[in-house]
Amino acid sequence: MKFKRFILWSLLLSLGTFVSVSPAQQPAATTPASIEAVQVIGLACVKQNTKGNLKVESGSLTFASSKNTCQVPAASIQDVVTAADSQRVIGGTVGTISRLAPYGGGTALSLLRSKVDIITIQYRDPNGGLHGAIFTMPVGAAESIKEALLAQGAHTSIPSQAKLTSDSPLQSEAMEQTN
Amino acid sequence: MKTIKRATILCIFIARLSAVPALCEQPHPSTGSPAAAIEVQMIQPGEINLPAEFQVALYENLVQELQKKGGFSQVYRDGDRNAAGAFDLITLHTTVTGFKQGSELKRDVTTVGGATSITIHCQFTDKEGKVLLERDITGKVKLIGDNLRATDDFAKKAATVAQETLSPDSTSADPKKSGYKNVI
Repeated sequence: MKFKRFILWSLLLSLGTFVSVSPAQQPAATTPASIEAVQVIGLACVKQNTKGNLKVESGSLTFASSKNTCQVPAASIQDVVTAADSQRVIGGTVGTISRLAPYGGGTALSLLRSKVDIITIQYRDPNGGLHGAIFTMPVGAAESIKEALLAQGAHTSIPSQAKLTSDSPLQSEAMEQTN
Repeated sequence: MKTIKRATILCIFIARLSAVPALCEQPHPSTGSPAAAIEVQMIQPGEINLPAEFQVALYENLVQELQKKGGFSQVYRDGDRNAAGAFDLITLHTTVTGFKQGSELKRDVTTVGGATSITIHCQFTDKEGKVLLERDITGKVKLIGDNLRATDDFAKKAATVAQETLSPDSTSADPKKSGYKNVI
């Protein structure tokens, strides 16, 4: 008898936790959490190659570094393009100095590379001037940022992968065949 | 003792004399203030399949370099409404004519292969659309740096060309110095 009660109580408790967790997860699915990114070039308020957090919220793309926060309204973005690349694991000044390592050590270090996603945006300022910005981020993050931007009013010359597959399965099959 | 004193006095005198021209050679503030403005149009990929990040990096680096050392009083971006009111506006049109995407890894390993190069046809026109200058400028990264560094190289060369030939404080253009090929 005691054993049955114990099972019942544990079932009830586990249900309770599920109920309390599920509503908290819902907003995370609609707005992606901030992603660690590097602003390569383009934003006026931060220097080139600045690390920070990138997120899409309340109709704008926000890049927050340790010193500054820049916002680009999603509606002013006229093109969002994603791409993939790789970069040296040890970069910057240390990476440059490491090339001088003896016995081909520098070359060996340059073989250590990590894959990154690139997101490129083009947007207009209030005067109509065209700006561009490039961000690099961990693999798989760029597409979610792009989709969030498109949902909030940004435009793109290349439709996102998710939209392509939902629009026409034949089209996506043709794309896979070409690739 | 007397000779030592004389020598010391003579040394002090010579040192003072040599200091006089140095004081006179203090840098004068530049008198020729730049007056012309330039509007930078977005880089056109033309028939070349140019990745979007290269297109944007070329444009942004070009704007930054022209602001830094172009010698123009004002640098406008593509579509900026304020450019319409500029008195002597020069417009820079750029079209990509050649692009070879190298590999940073190959450059690191071989040190001779994997270079990235971008050749861009630059056309400077006045407000009426008259061509003032046409140049083919190539940006390269041969050894150290990622592929996008070629865009920075191009921008520096283009800004040097603009500064040497078109800006109000321009000096004689030296093609060897800025590394461009004259088209006209």
